[in-house]
Amino acid sequence: MIEVRGLTKCYGDRTVVDDLSFRVEPGAVTGFLGPNGSGKTTTARMILGLTDPDTGVAMVGSRRYRELAHPLREIGALIDPGGVNPGRTAIEHLRWLAAANRLSRRRGAEVLGLVGLDAVAGRKVGGFSLGMRQRLGIAAALIGDPPTLVFDEPINGLDPEGIRWIRGFMQDLAAEGRTVFVSSHLMSEMALTATELIVIGQGRLIAAESVAAFTERAESSVRVRSPQLDVLAAALAEQGASLWRDGDVLEVVGVSIEHVGEVALRLGVLLYELSPQRASLEEAFMRLTADVCDHVAGQAA
Amino acid sequence: MINSLAMEWQKLRPLHKTARTVLLAIALAITVSALVSLAMASNGPHMSLVDRRAFDSVATSLQGVNAAVLAIAAFGVLCVTGEYATGMIKVTFLAQPSRLRVLAAKLTTHAAIAAVAAAGACLAAFAVGQALLATAGLSVGWDNARLPTALGGGVVYLMLICIWGVALGATLRSSSSAIIWLASLLVVAPVVVQILPRHLVEVVGRWLPSQIGQQAIASHPSAHSFSAWSGLAVLGAYVGLTLLAGAWRMTHTDP
Repeated sequence: MIEVRGLTKCYGDRTVVDDLSFRVEPGAVTGFLGPNGSGKTTTARMILGLTDPDTGVAMVGSRRYRELAHPLREIGALIDPGGVNPGRTAIEHLRWLAAANRLSRRRGAEVLGLVGLDAVAGRKVGGFSLGMRQRLGIAAALIGDPPTLVFDEPINGLDPEGIRWIRGFMQDLAAEGRTVFVSSHLMSEMALTATELIVIGQGRLIAAESVAAFTERAESSVRVRSPQLDVLAAALAEQGASLWRDGDVLEVVGVSIEHVGEVALRLGVLLYELSPQRASLEEAFMRLTADVCDHVAGQAA
Repeated sequence: MINSLAMEWQKLRPLHKTARTVLLAIALAITVSALVSLAMASNGPHMSLVDRRAFDSVATSLQGVNAAVLAIAAFGVLCVTGEYATGMIKVTFLAQPSRLRVLAAKLTTHAAIAAVAAAGACLAAFAVGQALLATAGLSVGWDNARLPTALGGGVVYLMLICIWGVALGATLRSSSSAIIWLASLLVVAPVVVQILPRHLVEVVGRWLPSQIGQQAIASHPSAHSFSAWSGLAVLGAYVGLTLLAGAWRMTHTDP
């Protein structure tokens, strides 16, 4: 279990993570979603004790990372496909990790088997492809058989076969009852892998809900085309709808299509089009994160 | 702490570039000692009786210590900067979140290896050097009263230089800048100081790490230098201050 409370981190006058709070529960793959530069990696680093938060705490189980006596037995992390001395062999890399947390020497070979690298255990990491390095990073994360796993952008640089493998692998880990926390900037990927979502934008929490709930939210948009959009937009905004306007087209989220029709009739607004939109998850994600970026206010006004 | 030591020891187990620098240091120490002894031996027949009496046979056969310093320093530097260069330091801190324990474990393992290597190098250099000096009747025996102090001084000097390397690596996090700094202090500074007016050389010279190293293996203290052990104490102070800077940076700035 991972719990983050009021996490805030500034670099200079830039707030990278802004009062972030969420919980990641065991037994599910939880996607950690946000555009590039939204603070995902900084959050992951704070959970892992690599960066100190300005305020707030990140807990692994019931402790902060730095208080863990044998951290690799509590939480495994893939943060950087590098992080390995290229002159060392795969098994040598895992041996020093095992020694660091008093794990059995055999663990190295075991986890290499789990990720399908047993055949190259004795090869130098310098000659590994990016996909093989990712697998080695995952082996390293698993070395202490931890109940919690953090993967930062694990599919970066993987081929389609590797992506499919890692998807299934993460789901299997969650099915064993582990907490699996995966960051990504690709909504489509998370829709396939995760069942829970934590969405951030500009370091702030946008959504923490199941993928199903998020999808539902995404599908309830209404497209309106009208020569009198200003009047209609103002009325809908008053009722708390979120609006995106592009020329004479208005996208409405948060009110039903019937309601938009009723409002238009009451105001006597001529409509050329009133249609339900099944936005993709990707679009929903873009909208939600764009919302935070304050692009909307200017367009809808 | 035992886990951290096990981690650092395990990192050193496979013979990597860093471990090779130790072997390079030993080879350099023996080779340079042999060359200096050979030169002195060939000069032997032309030496006056006064020269022979003033001749420091022990120090001559230990001259290789000065050649080994840079390799030993690099051994210390690379154990820290190599990890920053590859990003491995993050994985190290994931396995052992206490920065100070990581630093202490690196210092302990590397200083111990440097001490063993330095002892081996000094003994071998002395044996080879004395054998060559013997051809000109310039050798002293293994029972020479000055020998234990000179050997001890050489070993402590090289060990301190190795720790300085680790400390400077932790402070600067870059192999090139740490090695350039050490090369400047150990090799360039003595040359630059020679340009100064004579009275300044006498004042400044004693503070140079290279001069401290020279005195550590010398049998006769020189007039304008610290004695062997006070010199090493001065070097220890340099190392200690650098170590504080390295520990501060390691604990206060993100990897």
